[in-house]
Amino acid sequence: MKILVHLACALLLAAVQAAALRFLGGGVVTAALLAPCLVYLGLHAGNVDGVLAAAGVGLVLDVMAATPKGLFTFLAVLLFLVARAVGASVDVRGRLPFALLSGLGALFLSFGGWLLLRWAVPPEVAPRATVILRAIVEAILTGALSPLLLSGLRRLDRLFEREEPGLLG
Amino acid sequence: MLALLKRYRELILVAFLLLVPLGVFLANAKKAAERSRFDRAVLVITSPLERLVSWSVTGVLEAWHGYVGLRHAGERASELSREVNELRMERDRLLQDRAEAERLRRLVGLAEAMPEHSTLGARVIGVRLGPAGRQILTLDRGADRGVGRLMPVVVADGVVGRVHSVTGSSSEVLLLVDTYSSIAVRVERTRARANVRGMGKPGGARLEYALRTEDMIEGDLLVTSGTDGIFPRGLVVGRVTQLRRKPQGLFLEATVTPAVDVTRVEEVLILASARSREEAPAALAPGATP
Repeated sequence: MKILVHLACALLLAAVQAAALRFLGGGVVTAALLAPCLVYLGLHAGNVDGVLAAAGVGLVLDVMAATPKGLFTFLAVLLFLVARAVGASVDVRGRLPFALLSGLGALFLSFGGWLLLRWAVPPEVAPRATVILRAIVEAILTGALSPLLLSGLRRLDRLFEREEPGLLG
Repeated sequence: MLALLKRYRELILVAFLLLVPLGVFLANAKKAAERSRFDRAVLVITSPLERLVSWSVTGVLEAWHGYVGLRHAGERASELSREVNELRMERDRLLQDRAEAERLRRLVGLAEAMPEHSTLGARVIGVRLGPAGRQILTLDRGADRGVGRLMPVVVADGVVGRVHSVTGSSSEVLLLVDTYSSIAVRVERTRARANVRGMGKPGGARLEYALRTEDMIEGDLLVTSGTDGIFPRGLVVGRVTQLRRKPQGLFLEATVTPAVDVTRVEEVLILASARSREEAPAALAPGATP
């Protein structure tokens, strides 16, 4: 159930992102709102449901970005694992560390996608190095927006938290 | 064996979810991306959401300009300055209306200038110009109104792109600045042939297959040649910039500044191809507007 809710949330965010960017310069700058979702999953979800939800979010990313299938699914699962590793070694509880990690996550998705596409697709359709600057701007914007998403995702998670009766009595 | 699988099931699941997508990507990377049924199902879900957000934001902005802004101005300013503000806002609204009317008038003019093509007006409801993804616009018209794959999408200034995938009520446009977009063009001045391929970012395209011996200078206007079977001839694509003529090699190197700024497109015209026109319903009458 939690996985389905995260998937629905990813679909909603992807649609909001596409529609909202129309009003924010028409796409001159972009944001990767699903990167904070993946980071959040890496930090707070369980191993099995987290990795399944991350793969689902990756599928949504694949469809929305219209890239060859599997690219963002692979990168999303990898980002989930990286976020998990970072969460295990560093304290990422506040908004600022989350924003930083989300920005780096967005950069990871963009740069990872760029590298894999450069490596795998025919050279005439491979993305150029000039998109890296856009990726950096995207990462900064994503980091700036991620605290908003963090509170939303926390509220979403609270819906699934149940207090065990009798523990506090 | 079963115990081993049970013990390492999380590790196996993670490895599966990492390796299978990577394998699928490597298997599909060489082919141009086609939309599957699953993709279209996802887009059927997201496009109404995009439309909803688009309408909501427009509604909120209109409400702000039409009511809330006025109320706040009235609370803060004197009677005279409030009146000035009202007039300014009215003027801005009229200017916006006039600009929109001008854009639509130019689109209708373009449609009338191409009587051999059925046209359909559409509004942009979403943009996806991420650095690692395809450069795509979402339009509010889909297969229900006769939109089909590969149909050219234009504005009065020139080519925007072509329809990449279609759902019932929306469609995606692969922009001319995408790396998968390649448009056959001619130099309007000399009729020299070349291709324009996107560079994967707004405002970026480059010239391909322009022979080094061709007469070409910076600033030359590029128009569609009509030889790619998608775009009709004579549509403006862009201008040649940063021309480099290397001492060796077959082809010239140049970048192209697209005639259309894809980040500012709000309304577009979809051109039905000759084949699609036969199949198209009455909604694709010449000059039809959204």
